[in-house]
Amino acid sequence: MSKSTVESREVKFPPGEALRFSIESIKRRFVRALITAVSIILGIAFYVGLRTMSDIMLSIYGTSEAAKSYQLWMAMISLIVCAVGILNSMLMAVTERTKEIGTMKCLGAMDGHILMIFMFEAILVGVIGGLIGAVVGWLAGLLIYIGEYMNVIFSSALLTSYAMRMGEGILIAMILSVGATIYPAYHAASMDPADALRFEI
Amino acid sequence: MRYEYTVETEDLAKYYQLGEVVVKALDGIDLRIRRGEYLSIMGPSGSGKTTLFNMIGGLDRPTRGRVYIDEVDISKLDAYELAWLRCRKIGYIFQTFNLIPVLTALENVTLPMIFAGVPREERMRRAIEILNRVGLGDRLHHKPAELSGGQQQRVAIARALANDPVIVLADEPTGNLDLHTGLEIINMLRQLNVEKGVTIFTATHDLKMIDVSDRIVWIRDGKVDRIEKRVDVVVGMEEI
Ligand SMILES: Nc1ncnc2c1ncn2[C@@H]1O[C@H](COP(=O)(O)OP(=O)(O)OP(=O)(O)O)[C@@H](O)[C@H]1O
Ligand SMILES: [Mg+2]
Repeated sequence: MSKSTVESREVKFPPGEALRFSIESIKRRFVRALITAVSIILGIAFYVGLRTMSDIMLSIYGTSEAAKSYQLWMAMISLIVCAVGILNSMLMAVTERTKEIGTMKCLGAMDGHILMIFMFEAILVGVIGGLIGAVVGWLAGLLIYIGEYMNVIFSSALLTSYAMRMGEGILIAMILSVGATIYPAYHAASMDPADALRFEI
Repeated sequence: MRYEYTVETEDLAKYYQLGEVVVKALDGIDLRIRRGEYLSIMGPSGSGKTTLFNMIGGLDRPTRGRVYIDEVDISKLDAYELAWLRCRKIGYIFQTFNLIPVLTALENVTLPMIFAGVPREERMRRAIEILNRVGLGDRLHHKPAELSGGQQQRVAIARALANDPVIVLADEPTGNLDLHTGLEIINMLRQLNVEKGVTIFTATHDLKMIDVSDRIVWIRDGKVDRIEKRVDVVVGMEEI
């Protein structure tokens, strides 16, 4: 290891640069990001909305196992639909950039750098989409009960559970978004540049 | 350190298996490119020019044989060293320009410098300087889609030069350009070769390239057909 005398033969791409690149990429491909975000927003809104409603029902009518499991089942379905939507749009979003990935590798990017860019993008879109979806879902859930049960729905016990549901929603959005990106991004990043450059959709 | 040969290939071959048939895109290429040489690969469509470009540039793996860049066998490089080679030693130019569509001209040129670890201020300064040199000083903040083909190719040349490469590899750099713009690009490559001693390797059908090349290697069906030296041509050139 005579690294001290020889210039270190390593390329660099600090996470800060990757994050900046990801943010710019989202901003400039706004429509594409929006398509992905919409599927996240819908899925999470549905999930959080259902959970909010079941929390409120619980505090008004008390526990009913049947109702609880029905609600949970609905929430799961919403997540599966959401996951398929995200998977589809992430797959497209990565695939249409295969040539760009090949180009970046010609400029010195390593597989890990490419993966890092896509992970940041997935996290950002996941968190933003998740946040919007959670708020929308929560408001929708509240709206149904707001006339009759005004005093109940803002009880402190429920406020905590709302916060928890939203946190849950955002976390799920992030996991789905990252999960849907990781495989196509890894696949595209590990292609030989020659294959990536030749790639046409 | 200075090496006599910047690029050497040894029995280089690339076969593609397409169902029953084996396509021999390259079939035993032995080539030595001297430092500072301007070498053009010519040959009909499908003769293996792009495949050779990919092999020499470390963008694809050969089926057989070796490629040496500055006397280093590139198949022995690990991922870090290979990325470093692509980043610092070689500049690539493509027929289809391959600029990043969402980045401006300036950002496209700074990108390879990010990977080279050049500080931000320095990146900007250098990128502006190079873009000025290729005559695009007034197009810094334009996206590729807002530029003409010739301008895009000049951005691509600026990008290829960002990290002061010792070799510039160009695959049909004039293939998508009109005659006049093509000549401009060729002159730019030649100037780079003469003034900075950059080794240039172009794969092309463009006969205009013959005038500026030190050597022309004609390939056919993945094999070297014949090699013409510039001296055969140069006498005529200088008398004109
Ligand atoms: N990925 C691949 N899979 C299968 N065959 C391939 C692949 N890439 C190239 N070939 C074949 O290898 C041969 C050489 O191709 P190559 O692209 O190197 O030719 P070329 O000289 O660059 O042609 P052109 O002037 O048209 O660009 C062709 O017969 C081509 O069909
Ligand atoms: Mg070709």
